[in-house]
Amino acid sequence: MSSLTAAKGKLHINRENAFGYLLLIPSIIIFAVFTFWPFIYTIYLSFFEWNMISPTKEFVGLKNYTEVLSDPKTYRILGNTFLYIILLLIINCVIPYIFAFVIDLVLRKYKNFYKGALFLPAFISLVVGSILFTWILNPVSGPVAILFNWFGLEIPNWTKAEGWIIVVLSLITSWKVFGYNFILLYASINGISREIIEAARMDNVSLVRIFFQIILPMSSATGIYVFIITIVQSLQYVFTPVKVISQGGPDYASSNLIYHAYHEAFVVYRTGHSAAISIVTMALFLLLLFLEFRYVERGVYYEN
Amino acid sequence: MKRWLQIALFIILISFLAACNSEAAGNESNEDGKTVIEYWHVNAETQGGQTVTELVEEFNAQSDTVEVVAKYNPDMYKGLMQNMQAEAAAGNSPAVVQIGWAFMDYFSGNFEYTPPQNVIDEHFPDDATFLEDHFLPNVMDLAKNSDGEQVGVPYSLSTPVLYINKDILREAGLDTDGPQTWEEVKEFSEVIKEETGNYGLYFQEPADNWATQALLESNGASFIKDGQAAFASEEGIEAYQFLTDMIVEDETALHIGWDQGVQSFIDGSVAMAYTTIAQRSNIQDNAQFDVAAVESPAWEGKEVKLPAGGAMLAITAQEEEEQKAAWEFMSYLYSVEAMAEWTKGTGYVPPRHDVSEAENGLNTYLEENEMMTPAINQMDGVVPWASFPGNAGLQAEQMLLDLREQLLEGSISPEEGLKTTQDEINALLP
Repeated sequence: MSSLTAAKGKLHINRENAFGYLLLIPSIIIFAVFTFWPFIYTIYLSFFEWNMISPTKEFVGLKNYTEVLSDPKTYRILGNTFLYIILLLIINCVIPYIFAFVIDLVLRKYKNFYKGALFLPAFISLVVGSILFTWILNPVSGPVAILFNWFGLEIPNWTKAEGWIIVVLSLITSWKVFGYNFILLYASINGISREIIEAARMDNVSLVRIFFQIILPMSSATGIYVFIITIVQSLQYVFTPVKVISQGGPDYASSNLIYHAYHEAFVVYRTGHSAAISIVTMALFLLLLFLEFRYVERGVYYEN
Repeated sequence: MKRWLQIALFIILISFLAACNSEAAGNESNEDGKTVIEYWHVNAETQGGQTVTELVEEFNAQSDTVEVVAKYNPDMYKGLMQNMQAEAAAGNSPAVVQIGWAFMDYFSGNFEYTPPQNVIDEHFPDDATFLEDHFLPNVMDLAKNSDGEQVGVPYSLSTPVLYINKDILREAGLDTDGPQTWEEVKEFSEVIKEETGNYGLYFQEPADNWATQALLESNGASFIKDGQAAFASEEGIEAYQFLTDMIVEDETALHIGWDQGVQSFIDGSVAMAYTTIAQRSNIQDNAQFDVAAVESPAWEGKEVKLPAGGAMLAITAQEEEEQKAAWEFMSYLYSVEAMAEWTKGTGYVPPRHDVSEAENGLNTYLEENEMMTPAINQMDGVVPWASFPGNAGLQAEQMLLDLREQLLEGSISPEEGLKTTQDEINALLP
């Protein structure tokens, strides 16, 4: 009993905030069951060899980690992962930023049309999108190939070509993500005080300078959110088209770390391997997050 | 975090997880006293799901003792396997399941099942010779695992056939009956490329090595010999060299994903497609040209060996009552009428040898659907789909897929690639 009162003292629970703690419990439970517990269990699994079905798990120590880290495939897939991130940062962060700026401040007409049109694809399931694009971009007989043929051009056999496959899968993914990011950035830019922008215009400041010296700093809080969410999504959303179209192929050229973890666990049932890859991925992104807090977060402008 | 909070959370968590577990109890009987069993299948609406529903409804209407609940599993046999893993981990199992051939060894090594003949002998003495009487021995052998035990009964069977676009063949001045041998396929393709500018052949590339096995084994190689990978024999290398030459050197064959490949054939961009008979209705319904299916090409002077695709039905029910119910349901599915429905709905070849001639079977149907005939005619060349034994089986399969990508890209020679992969696989196998 005494320890309980001691703990109570440390937590500073009193009448006012007890209710607050109570309200936190449901979300803590959800986090615990769906995030923390699986995470702990993944760490545990990464030290075992197990196929998800046999009743015994064989303890192998660090073998899974050494195998993952000495496998050239892992580094290839790591490279793919970063290529996806860079491509998707350009398509889903830089370009929507520019679009949002242009539509809000440069265009005079049809703003609502553009907003709607650009957001629309975000409603459609990525699986549907992937299947559609497989057909549209069929390098031999799809409509795009036929169109190119009229001009005597050929489109590359992208499902089987290293490099191209990542570009096309990124484009398909961005179909889903672009609109959402665009709307966020648009709202943020739209919220910037018009007086500042009008004043700049009066002084004949060029649009490029308005963008870099007013818009970018003043919307940076949303900007950084979109930046981070794009990195996270480029890891996760890419999964759908990879699964539907290429299954990681040709020869792992379109796999990323998340898909590869899935592949190891649910296609070849090497749970330990998969868990080790997951933990390595986790560590890598903790590092990136740390760098972000250290160097990027400082320069961000928060209105309040 | 504070300790008491940690403990409280932990207790909540444990009780939550425990609650999840106790919720899922086994199969039971319903209010009419019928035994309720689950039938797990992989047939989506477009792949015979409709037929599954009809068959199950008809069965339930006529049975006084058993009620079957059909459960669809997405992502084909692999998806079903994954769901079984989860279900088995929770201590449950369905009663009747479809097991894809490639997963047979994995299934028999990792799951609890009862050989159908055991259930028959115990509860259905009248059916004692049912399996013997109605199935070809080489077909029944498909459902035997590497220890020779009869794991299940073949249900959906498919074999690869060569679909041909007669319009293109005619345009190129070739025999519209199609090529008989692989050597002719190559010659045909060269002529087609020269005369019409189209690709000659698409050789299917799904996420398995089924068609590759047909190509290699028909040339005299064997995928697995005495439990070891053996595909890198002289014949195996020669056969793979043949395919890579057509794709990389001659550029008369198309190297592309499965969906896109079949789509290209249907669009008329490729003259011949080597793929499963299960694609028949898709191709027959959508092709706008004079299309036909011919038997799998042989190698000059050799006999074809075609791995069977599809699935068997296995009994995974644990309790006697349910096992009995499982066979009652299965014997219904294997009746001539139900088999005929199944073939019409899916395009699979019936595993029973007496269905295609029977009046209440497929007799009239086959007269109208000539494209089915080659698949039925080549049934005596059917061999089991090679599945590597042991836990590493799936990994071995994956390594062969990786190899295929490398070979068809031309980044490695078949001789080197096949030999290295064979050694790697054998190092994995027990």
